[in-house]
Amino acid sequence: MSTRSERDGGAPHHRSAGRFVGSALVQLVLIAYGIIVVYPLLIMLASSLKTTGEIFANPLSLIPETVRLVNYVDAWNQANFGTYFRNSIFVCAVSVALILFFGSMAAYVLARFSFPGNRAIYLLFLAGFMIPIRLAIVPLFIMMRDLRLLDTLWSLILVYVAGGMPFTIFLMVNFFRHIPRDLEDAAVLDGAGPFQVYYQIMLPLVRPALATVGLFHFLNVWNDFFFPLIFIRSENLRTVPLGVSTFFGEYTNDWALMFAALSISIMPVIAVYLLASKQFIAGLTSGAIK
Amino acid sequence: MRVFRFLRRPSAAADADTSLPGGRGRAVAIKQHTYLLMLVPGLAMYLAFIIWPFANTIRVSFYNWSGLGPLDDFVGFGNYTHLFNRAPINRQFSNALSNTAQVFFLSTVLSTFVGLGFALILSRKIAGSRFYQALYFMPNTLSVVVVGFLWNLLLNPQFGAVNAVLRSIGLDSLARPWLGDPDFALPSIVAVSAWANMGFPVLIFLAAILGIPSDLLEAARLDGASELRVVATIVIPLLWPTLITLIVLNFIASVNTFELVFAMEGSEGGPFFATDVLGTLFYRMAFGGVGGVYAGTGLGGAAALATLMLVIVLPVSVFVIIYQRKVSHEY
Repeated sequence: MSTRSERDGGAPHHRSAGRFVGSALVQLVLIAYGIIVVYPLLIMLASSLKTTGEIFANPLSLIPETVRLVNYVDAWNQANFGTYFRNSIFVCAVSVALILFFGSMAAYVLARFSFPGNRAIYLLFLAGFMIPIRLAIVPLFIMMRDLRLLDTLWSLILVYVAGGMPFTIFLMVNFFRHIPRDLEDAAVLDGAGPFQVYYQIMLPLVRPALATVGLFHFLNVWNDFFFPLIFIRSENLRTVPLGVSTFFGEYTNDWALMFAALSISIMPVIAVYLLASKQFIAGLTSGAIK
Repeated sequence: MRVFRFLRRPSAAADADTSLPGGRGRAVAIKQHTYLLMLVPGLAMYLAFIIWPFANTIRVSFYNWSGLGPLDDFVGFGNYTHLFNRAPINRQFSNALSNTAQVFFLSTVLSTFVGLGFALILSRKIAGSRFYQALYFMPNTLSVVVVGFLWNLLLNPQFGAVNAVLRSIGLDSLARPWLGDPDFALPSIVAVSAWANMGFPVLIFLAAILGIPSDLLEAARLDGASELRVVATIVIPLLWPTLITLIVLNFIASVNTFELVFAMEGSEGGPFFATDVLGTLFYRMAFGGVGGVYAGTGLGGAAALATLMLVIVLPVSVFVIIYQRKVSHEY
């Protein structure tokens, strides 16, 4: 694109023409991949409003002949999505709250107090960062069975909270370290205990980090399929991904319903992402940029 | 899986480590050790539900155990040798191992390297750069199993959108039963996985590229280096640590592949085990083999496979941590 003569300023209009063609080409590539990202999702949405017959006859059209919202009603009722959403919301809310609470508290201790074993504990947490938790599923399954927690939402919550520690502690330790000590020192002189310092002074200061970690774990927990697949048997305890999965087993020929079910399960996450994509990307990148 | 998707630039990780217990040298006047109580809930949960089960996985792998009753039938490495020499499990194991390796190689190209390409493009002053970044990342937020079911429909040979697109642009000959053809099933799944994950390498590479001081690049440009030369001689070498890290994370994710195959090809990794990976084999051995071909391996066999997978992943993870610490660039 930039040849010797261009660099010497020999042919400025050449260069700008080359630039223009170059950036037009680049835009074309970026738009093309953008379409690959979005088009399948749009097809899903459009198909969720068609009849199965229309999907088969006309799979690519993005505007249904008649908008059949009834697909959503049918999918919602037949798949018990109300129950699945309630379960997912409960598991998500409790897990994320506990991850944030336990994780930030432990991270505060690891970041601020020096005691023998501090570093070893920190590294033990980091180890969990790199090993796939699901490989421990056999003993976990037995453990949940013996604790009589199998087929309860608590089995999921316990695993998510424990599995959420490495990432939370990794990120929060770094955040706590960047906070100046003066505020804490003053509070300590005033006689505040460690928990008070953590809860009243430190936590409000790391709110952005808590938001990032919370959002991250919300998506992880909401989307997880593996642990519900192993732990949950009862129909009324299924989470959304597990519910979608069993729904697909039962309605293999009713494409309109399947697309509606997919849309129902995907839309909340997309909505969260559209609302918070900036924070989400900034948060994810913050670790890489800081 | 997504837990592993987070990483920091090596230099930052390294300098964070040297400053470990932040209290060193500064006498914060908290004398009692009550603060240690605050460590307990998180650490206890982590030990009980992550570390302990992992230790137990390794222990169970040396026993013949149905999951009930005491752990008393010690078989040494018997469960491991079965994976290599007892039919039909040995054939399934080597097949799953080779498919998992293929997933890794294909996805390194399709997602890590293509992601690097997009990041290089987006790092230049491109109109809408942030928009594309956010857009490409969107599928990352979706449940993998839901993505699998969606593409299951889209890749359907008769009524799926993919073949419909190919037919509509005159490429009828390319239309095929993607998920039913043993030659195309695995690459199709990797392509779907790249679609779902592309945003992550783009995001991380982009952050790393934007972290390169611009005066370094400007100096080279002023010296007359072409854009391509700047990328090849300055940007890429500085991206090595990020590239290695992303390849390793992709390796770990590949060994972990399960949901997509399960949703698109079932727990047997059809057609004819063409997409059977270690994750699906492990699932069948642990939970899907009552009275079937896996009778006799019991949970010990599944634990042995899990331990092997751990042995595959762990050195690589340790390598990346050590490597990152060594190659911490100071720009």
